[in-house]
Amino acid sequence: GSKLGRLFDHPLYNIQSPAPGPQETLLQEEDLVQHYRKKVSHWERRIKLYSKAAAISNITVTEHEVTFDPGASWLKFHLGINRYALYSREDAAVPQLLEDMQGMTVISADYTQDEKALKGACDCTQVVKPSGHHLKLALKMRNYAKAMFKPMRQQRDTETPEDVFYFVDFQRHNAEIAAFHLDRILDFRRVPPVAGRLVNITGEVFQVAHNEELRAVFFTSPANNSCFFAKCLYVCKTEYAVCGGPDLLEGSLSAYLPSLSIAPRISIPNPWIRSYTFTGREEWEVNPFYCDNIKKMYPYNSGDRLLNIIDMSIFDFLTSNMDRHHYEIFTKFGDEGFLLHLDNARGFGKHSLDEMSILAPLSQCCMIKRSTLLRLRLLARPEFRLSDVMRESLEGDSLRPILTEPHLSALDRRLQKVLRTVQRCVRRLGEDEVILKDFAESTRSPASAA
Amino acid sequence: MKMILLRKFRVLILMVFLVACSMHIMVDLLPKLERRGGGGGGGGCSCSHAPSEEPRGWGKQVRANKHPLRILQDFSSEPGSNVSSHSLERVPGAADRAHAPRRLEHLGPRGDRKRQIAQDAAAAAAAADARLQGSRLAALYEHPLYRRSLPPLTDEDTLFNVNADIRFDPKAAEERAWTNQGTAEEVSPAGGPADESYPNWLRFHIGINRYELYSRHNPVIDALLKDLVTQKITSVAMKSGGTQLKLIMTFQNYGQALFKPMKQTREQETPPDFFYFSDFERHNAEIAAFHLDKVLDFRRVPPVAGRLVNMTKEIRDVTQDKKLWRTFFISPANNVCFYGECSYYCSTEHALCGKPDQLEGSLAAFLPDLALAKRKTWRNPWRRSYHKRKKAEWEVDPDYCEEVKQTPPYDSGTRLLNVIDMTILNFLRGNMDRHHYETFEKFGNETVIIHLDNGRGFGKHSHDEISILVPLSQCCRVRKSTHLRLQLLAKEEYKLSVLVAESMARDRLTPVLIQPHLDAMDRRLRLVLNTLSECIEKEGHSYVVEDDLQGRHGADRGHSAPRRR
Repeated sequence: GSKLGRLFDHPLYNIQSPAPGPQETLLQEEDLVQHYRKKVSHWERRIKLYSKAAAISNITVTEHEVTFDPGASWLKFHLGINRYALYSREDAAVPQLLEDMQGMTVISADYTQDEKALKGACDCTQVVKPSGHHLKLALKMRNYAKAMFKPMRQQRDTETPEDVFYFVDFQRHNAEIAAFHLDRILDFRRVPPVAGRLVNITGEVFQVAHNEELRAVFFTSPANNSCFFAKCLYVCKTEYAVCGGPDLLEGSLSAYLPSLSIAPRISIPNPWIRSYTFTGREEWEVNPFYCDNIKKMYPYNSGDRLLNIIDMSIFDFLTSNMDRHHYEIFTKFGDEGFLLHLDNARGFGKHSLDEMSILAPLSQCCMIKRSTLLRLRLLARPEFRLSDVMRESLEGDSLRPILTEPHLSALDRRLQKVLRTVQRCVRRLGEDEVILKDFAESTRSPASAA
Repeated sequence: MKMILLRKFRVLILMVFLVACSMHIMVDLLPKLERRGGGGGGGGCSCSHAPSEEPRGWGKQVRANKHPLRILQDFSSEPGSNVSSHSLERVPGAADRAHAPRRLEHLGPRGDRKRQIAQDAAAAAAAADARLQGSRLAALYEHPLYRRSLPPLTDEDTLFNVNADIRFDPKAAEERAWTNQGTAEEVSPAGGPADESYPNWLRFHIGINRYELYSRHNPVIDALLKDLVTQKITSVAMKSGGTQLKLIMTFQNYGQALFKPMKQTREQETPPDFFYFSDFERHNAEIAAFHLDKVLDFRRVPPVAGRLVNMTKEIRDVTQDKKLWRTFFISPANNVCFYGECSYYCSTEHALCGKPDQLEGSLAAFLPDLALAKRKTWRNPWRRSYHKRKKAEWEVDPDYCEEVKQTPPYDSGTRLLNVIDMTILNFLRGNMDRHHYETFEKFGNETVIIHLDNGRGFGKHSHDEISILVPLSQCCRVRKSTHLRLQLLAKEEYKLSVLVAESMARDRLTPVLIQPHLDAMDRRLRLVLNTLSECIEKEGHSYVVEDDLQGRHGADRGHSAPRRR
């Protein structure tokens, strides 16, 4: 039968967390619905104005109506966010949201906020391009669900060339999709839902774009394909356009989190950040006792913040994502909240190389959550082998296969390396020092685990 | 006779002028010399003191001119100074005149004769080779179509009257001691070695004439190709202007070459969605263009050779360009990389990495400095729009050529036929990026056009871009000699791809082209010939094929003006 199904049936995946109290859920339903209503009426007003202007200047824009739907899957997803995770295991809203993102009519396409924040400034001398420069778009669905669209830049079997630095690497749409599935299999549930979709870039992007600047980056290639490009990267001649064939283009759609106005987040630098230069090295790369300093520093000196960082480093090591410079948390939950694993598009670039430095938080701090370790051990067993359950989980995406076999088997190999790192720590410091009961688990009754 | 005497006599005055170093000695000497020169022609006089005194004279000139190396060739490390008009101003005019005639004395009359001899010898050797090794290339050069000689050259037909080249870098003169040799040879009646002691790049420059950049069997070109690969690189600068990264390399013998690094592997094809103006420049396309041009017997592409360059020792350590130097870094795989500064593909995303520091590239020999041999840049009438959505006029107007034919300089002379030759060359390589072409100003409109900048050819082997051939299909005109050679190269025993491959096999970076590209050339050649036979069918043979094989005299070049309908 299904390995994935058996995995989710396993007792480890059926520990009931306590029902979140009112202060432990991110949003209140009334607030959100009111916010939604306001947005929709605002949108309708704006579209009316826009279509008048478009009629005058002879621009053809496909018009779609927004349908207000209080039962929309994205709404449920937002309401389900609590202190422990982005969604619960049995939440029906998530599969529904994935389906919606795959099939629902797109009513609008625009630049993302971080792109707009740059106000069109292009500095071609920058070695590390700000994230707003990268090619991604915000798409709005008929029921006002929003998703970030990252187009396909690379074939699935292309590996990142060996000379490429982590901050230069391509953004991969399949890495975004795979990261969501891996995160769910690890039971972290800290990545917003991502679905693959074949997007018609003429009908579903160009013709619903109301932004003149965005419309200007679309063109037809010599091979008669529809293409568009990231303005700055194109102007600086660092990147060429992405093209459909002739109109259809693969891409990943990742669900938006609640807007910052109703659920503010803060972005915190990763203590194990890289230098983002050609030569520079950070302290953690040269000092093996770096973690001792971190342990004494707020907010890593209490709660399970540091353990969460280590979870994140294990997740990044498995996907081989070196580009984790910041992590985000919801301000409402303060230091007790979980870490969001956003922006995973730079993972899965090389299947033949395991970048051990990503695992530095684990190998330097020598501590890990007991729940995480148990799950990792489970996923190393043949009956729940990580690559098998990943393959099965990714089968559910419309763009399958998402990962090539070498990437899947790399997951198993890397998982072994994580477990070996833990073993080495245990041998040195003893199990009690290394394997820690985490805060979230301590509130659960151990009886329900059986 | 009187004129010669008068000239020699001037030489002497000016020679001594330099020799004498101090002003008042010279003033003293002047009247005496005048008397002596008038008396008996005084031929041997200069030799007695020239060897010892000359270096000081040179030295003086060096001091007067702060950039002696730039006299013959400007390599413009400063941005924006592609055209080196300033270097001309720096050259003290008097010094030029002083030296020039002396060199003329022993070079001028001999140049042509010598070349003739060399050519004959090389041809004979090649023929022998052909018989021995069954070389197809040598057999090709045996063919009568490849044995036609140029019309006799006058001073007007050569780029340099040799005397101008005296401005060749004085410092090199000291180091290589060829001046001393030269003076020793001056007395010998054979007098060969004097110009042979010039570096090969200079001899290449001297050999340029109205009809060709180099002659068919020129040993200098082979030597120059060898120089490009073996000469020590003494300095490197980034080329300003142009869109993609190019480096200007200066060699030990003061020759210079344009370096284009390898950006793509030989198997990579240009993605179908790329426009011609966003394509990469390929180093192997540069090399292949030179060989193809040579096999087609155009000889309008400057020599290009492939070279493996040590990025650390031959680029980073010898450049004084801070902007270039700053972009060097070590990659995560421990290879040396750099990306330079330019407008296209000069960013970390497109860094050029060695293995660990060996980088492939093409080195194209420089043409003479613009200060010495001005070039005219012409807009190609069939230039593309260089715009994503706009079309060029020729793409929408089928009678575009009629218009061009009535516009100078295409309304007379051989210019249109030259453009057609270029079109054929571009089509065979799939090069859509020919927006401009150049000629040497000295030759006016009656000269061949130079095919520079060929890096964007050979991008797709699976696609024949018919629009490149539009000048041919619209104008329906071709040189008879070109037409005959194309027909010859379509034959199995002279197969174009085999000949080009044989020619390129001598390059250091062989194989320069993968087989699909070679096969594509044969396929495209057939398309060219088809287009021509359609033209002949439509317009008649005598309209299409311009007979350039008969009655080729300097004077009646005008007869080849295209007839108008």
